[in-house]
Amino acid sequence: MKRTILHCDLNCFFASVEMLYHPEYRNIPMAVGGDRKNRHGIILAKNVPAKEKGIKTAETIVDALKKCPELIIVDPDYASYEYFSEKVRSLYYEYTDRIEPFGIDECWLDITESISYFGSVEKIVNDLLRRVKEEIGLTLSIGVSFSKTFAKLGSDLAKEDCSYYIDSLDEIGNIPVGRFLFVGPSSVSILNAYGIFTIRQLADTPAERLEKIMGKSGKTLHRYANGIDDDCVSLFGSSYDPAKSISNCITSSRDLRDLDDVKIVLTAISQNIASRLRESGSYYHTVHLFVRDNKLKVRTFQKRLKENSDLGKDIYNNALILFETHCDFRIPYRSIGVAVTGLSENKDAFQTSFFENSSYSLKERKQETAIMEIRRRFGRNSIDLLRAYEDDTLSKTVLKNTVSHTERQDRPK
Amino acid sequence: MIRKYVDVICLNDKGGNVKPLFLIWDDDRKVPIKKVKEICPRASLKVGGSGLRYTCVFEPNRIRHLYYDRGKWYVEMNDHVV
Repeated sequence: MKRTILHCDLNCFFASVEMLYHPEYRNIPMAVGGDRKNRHGIILAKNVPAKEKGIKTAETIVDALKKCPELIIVDPDYASYEYFSEKVRSLYYEYTDRIEPFGIDECWLDITESISYFGSVEKIVNDLLRRVKEEIGLTLSIGVSFSKTFAKLGSDLAKEDCSYYIDSLDEIGNIPVGRFLFVGPSSVSILNAYGIFTIRQLADTPAERLEKIMGKSGKTLHRYANGIDDDCVSLFGSSYDPAKSISNCITSSRDLRDLDDVKIVLTAISQNIASRLRESGSYYHTVHLFVRDNKLKVRTFQKRLKENSDLGKDIYNNALILFETHCDFRIPYRSIGVAVTGLSENKDAFQTSFFENSSYSLKERKQETAIMEIRRRFGRNSIDLLRAYEDDTLSKTVLKNTVSHTERQDRPK
Repeated sequence: MIRKYVDVICLNDKGGNVKPLFLIWDDDRKVPIKKVKEICPRASLKVGGSGLRYTCVFEPNRIRHLYYDRGKWYVEMNDHVV
């Protein structure tokens, strides 16, 4: 049976929420930007007048102000964005229980079973557009198709407060391949080098050839380009797939110039990740390190452990080994991130030998659990490792960005 | 037009419904709400904001919208009145 899937995308979501409470911003260039003091200064969302001035999402605020000096930058209010996102999803829920979020402002809706009840696809689509605008004050773009990827493409092609229907591949054959979901800039350059410029050409290229060019993702892309997409839209409120990785990245308030700076950041990050691991009851097998220097060049490294662990100490030690092995300070670093992958719910058994003992220490685990419990009860700053405090300004921004969910109830000092 | 937050005295009934009874103005004047004609989720396009819109009948038969948004009440007002 042919499915009917909608992809609903809230137009310039963050900026729209801000304009909802500040109508005076509707007709002047306005953008929501990160915290400039802490160097998170990029454009997160912009309104239509700002777009007309050439402001782009993810460019730095400094660049944006050069293009448009009168641009108004508003601080983000994530609590409001979450509130409105939930509100819109509750409205979707009146039409179907198959709602799968894709980020805070996008959702897939499978309305196949609801069409006969509501009358027609057009009725549901128009109802959604009207109600979100009237009742919530935001606007949507809706893509309608028979697969999730085509529906997503449809919402990208639809104008603000409009819908776009894709019934077959022929309608979108000539669209550049870069518009397709999961085809990023580097994939575009690879595909272009092989003479694949449009979605039609992508669909016509044999799966084996695409696999050779793109690796594992080639086959998936081939299926998606041909509209073969059996992924079902998950049930509203159903538990999400278990996390495949847990990560934390920090852009520090100043450049990291020596190993002591890096140690401060890694200490905070590894404790944050360990605390989240403990909440989810998982053990990790691989540690990834991500570094971005102040020329914005990004490098990543990874290390697989002999046995899995859930200790912050192991994350810290391995990330530090990776850093010391691969990085130097010829160019100072702006951001450092760590991710752990290969998550499992059970601790591996480790065969000890005459020369090698398990590095996993129950004593360390008890110690870390005690620290986490103290933080849960008395706040994030109630206890910390001394090395996290070696530099005051750095420690402040680092601690601010590494608070886990169970530690949020920080008490004022 | 501007969004003006106001104090409101309400009746929370046994069924969990909230009915605004009086609107308290800046000079502590209690303005009685004769009747609530309609309650619906709406965004206020004139002054911004979004929440539950109560269409209220005030004495003498004047209809005004009262919005309830995340724990706060507000009305739409002309700038020069404030």
